[in-house]
Amino acid sequence: MMNVLELRGLTKKFGDFFAVDNMSLQVREGEIFGFLGSNGAGKSTTINMVSSLLRPSGGEIRILDRDIAKHSRFAKMNLGIVPQDLAIYEDMTAFENVSFFAGLYGLRGSELKERVEEALEFVGLSDKAKSFPKNFSGGMKRRLNIACAIAHKPKLIIMDEPTVGIDPQSRNYILTSVRKLNETGCTIIYTSHYMEEVEEICSRIAIVDHGKIIAEGTKEQLKATITDVKDIRIGLKTLDGLEPALLQSIPGIRVLSVQQDEHAVRIQSDAAVDNLSKILKQLIDGGMEIRSVAEQAPTLETVFLTLTGRNLRD
Amino acid sequence: MNNLLSMAWKEMRHDFRDVKTLVFLLAFPILLMLILGFALTNAFSSNATIKDVKVLVHNTSSGQLSKAYAAFAEEAGKTGIVFEDVKTGMDGREEVEQNRYTDYLEISDGGIHLYGSSRSTIESNIVQGMMNSFADRYNAAAAVAKQDPAKVATLLAAAGPEGYIQDSSIDAERQPGAIDYYAIAMTVMIGLWGAMSGGSLIRYEIVRGTAARLAAAPVRKSDIFIGKVLGSVVLNMLCVLVIVMFSKYVFKAYWGDHLLPVFLVLLTEVVMSISLGLAISYMMKGEPSGGVVMIIVQLASFLGGAYFPLGNDIGGFLGSVAGLSPIRWANQALTGIIYNHSMSSAWTAMMLNTGLAVLFIAVAAVMMQRKEGI
Ligand SMILES: Nc1ncnc2c1ncn2[C@@H]1O[C@H](COP(=O)(O)OP(=O)(O)OP(=O)(O)O)[C@@H](O)[C@H]1O
Ligand SMILES: [Mg+2]
Repeated sequence: MMNVLELRGLTKKFGDFFAVDNMSLQVREGEIFGFLGSNGAGKSTTINMVSSLLRPSGGEIRILDRDIAKHSRFAKMNLGIVPQDLAIYEDMTAFENVSFFAGLYGLRGSELKERVEEALEFVGLSDKAKSFPKNFSGGMKRRLNIACAIAHKPKLIIMDEPTVGIDPQSRNYILTSVRKLNETGCTIIYTSHYMEEVEEICSRIAIVDHGKIIAEGTKEQLKATITDVKDIRIGLKTLDGLEPALLQSIPGIRVLSVQQDEHAVRIQSDAAVDNLSKILKQLIDGGMEIRSVAEQAPTLETVFLTLTGRNLRD
Repeated sequence: MNNLLSMAWKEMRHDFRDVKTLVFLLAFPILLMLILGFALTNAFSSNATIKDVKVLVHNTSSGQLSKAYAAFAEEAGKTGIVFEDVKTGMDGREEVEQNRYTDYLEISDGGIHLYGSSRSTIESNIVQGMMNSFADRYNAAAAVAKQDPAKVATLLAAAGPEGYIQDSSIDAERQPGAIDYYAIAMTVMIGLWGAMSGGSLIRYEIVRGTAARLAAAPVRKSDIFIGKVLGSVVLNMLCVLVIVMFSKYVFKAYWGDHLLPVFLVLLTEVVMSISLGLAISYMMKGEPSGGVVMIIVQLASFLGGAYFPLGNDIGGFLGSVAGLSPIRWANQALTGIIYNHSMSSAWTAMMLNTGLAVLFIAVAAVMMQRKEGI
């Protein structure tokens, strides 16, 4: 199957700092590809090189199997970009915004008008076509930001945190439209801080850290890599009298978090160390009443935590 | 081409919808014109009249030129301009410096040199215009003389008694009043404000994040660049036009009978200003360039005489710095066209403006090609 996007040893230096460090990646036709990484991991820098906003310091970017440095126009015609920072004109109506950008792709006349209407319809802004974005809610602006990227029907759409800071309703709308776009044959690269979103819609995921891809695969593949960590949830009657420090000192425990509202303790521990009985004994000796003990299936959050030693959103 | 035009159209749309800026752009100069123009009427009416124009002459020429000049001086004298011969021990340029004479004229067989006062621009322009038409006519005569000496007399005579004067078209009634002065000065100042539009053209897209979309779209950088400049030129020229018309019909400011060359001078000024702003914004590498452009514009306005005529109070250094102000060139050019029907300072201004515009655009273009994104 064709690679819609391929990165070969892509690198971007800002001074001596490698924001993207020798990154290689293949995204295939029809995928919704998730790009996960904490703040400053290098996601936007990568995307900005693909969209020609930044010039790579090294490596190659290929769109639909052609080097974009040599086939710039071809690459651009097939690419739609939803920038992380809103990229719309506040003094132009929703219609004028989409129409201006779509016009840059050679669309004219009635075809242009149809495509613009279609794009606005797609993001649910048809009734706002004549309104100015300065009066829009955050979610509506984000949706317009997407409409501006799709009217020219690109084969590849890259969305850089399209749902950041918006209400759940707009978010659901956007997630649904991403799926619909994908069903029409669009390949999508989706960047987000929200693990649940990525988990929900992406068929394949790359985890980026310090400008490098540290893991790549389907959700299942990624989770399967987590064999050395077990994730245990212990439900308690009450958290009163709990002494996390004592628990923490039990060998093998990596991360311990107390879930206040659920009256539970969550422990990530080395799978190789047999410490469950010690943990339970410690709790019972401390006078705690245990309601439930369960080993959780690893989530992407666990995967991320294990690989980087950090939470996705610190 | 299509992309270039849609960039230009978009640029104008932004400008038109930014009502606050537009109103300021138009209201500020009109208000200043009103305040300065009518408040300073008295100050201006005591200013130079044509009768105060005194030209110091050092004539060492002989033969044909000498005769031609004598005829010219006699005719020109009828307008009230006084031609005085230099006395021994007098330093002609010093006399002009000291403001005792408007101009110092040196005539030798080698040619005609005119040293004008940079202080009494309007008067000096009048003299310059007359000398230009004299020189033109004399050159024509001299060229004919080589072929057919008999015709020279006819040619010089054909000028008629008022020949030179008509050419330079001095309307003895017409004195630039305060409102006339400020109509020109403010219009020229607004022309230079193009630098501020130019300075924010690229930054506008960067601040709005739309630079990312433009960079991703299949548009040549040069189309983005030229389209935006074009849109900005059109809008700034429209402002200039409105101000000229407003001052002409509402304030009855005198704009002379030749509006086309007036607008040409203003057009080159606007293009030069926008290019200046653009070049500065590229040199500042995305940092806000507004401050720098603002300082340049204000300095040039002040030195160029936008707020008050920098006539009699500035000396050597400031005077020569003032000569660097595009506003001063344009002021002199327009005064020349309007009061003197003389294109000589207009050509200078247009050439300077065009040359500088080409230079600034070249600088910006090179930097644009090197820069990432747009
Ligand atoms: N123009 C620049 N000059 C210098 N450093 C930069 C520049 N742009 C980005 N960086 C640095 O490069 C690194 C990667 O930034 P990038 O924006 O790609 O991260 P990101 O993964 O998109 O993060 P976020 O999730 O916060 O959007 C960061 O450390 C950032 O500070
Ligand atoms: Mg980012």
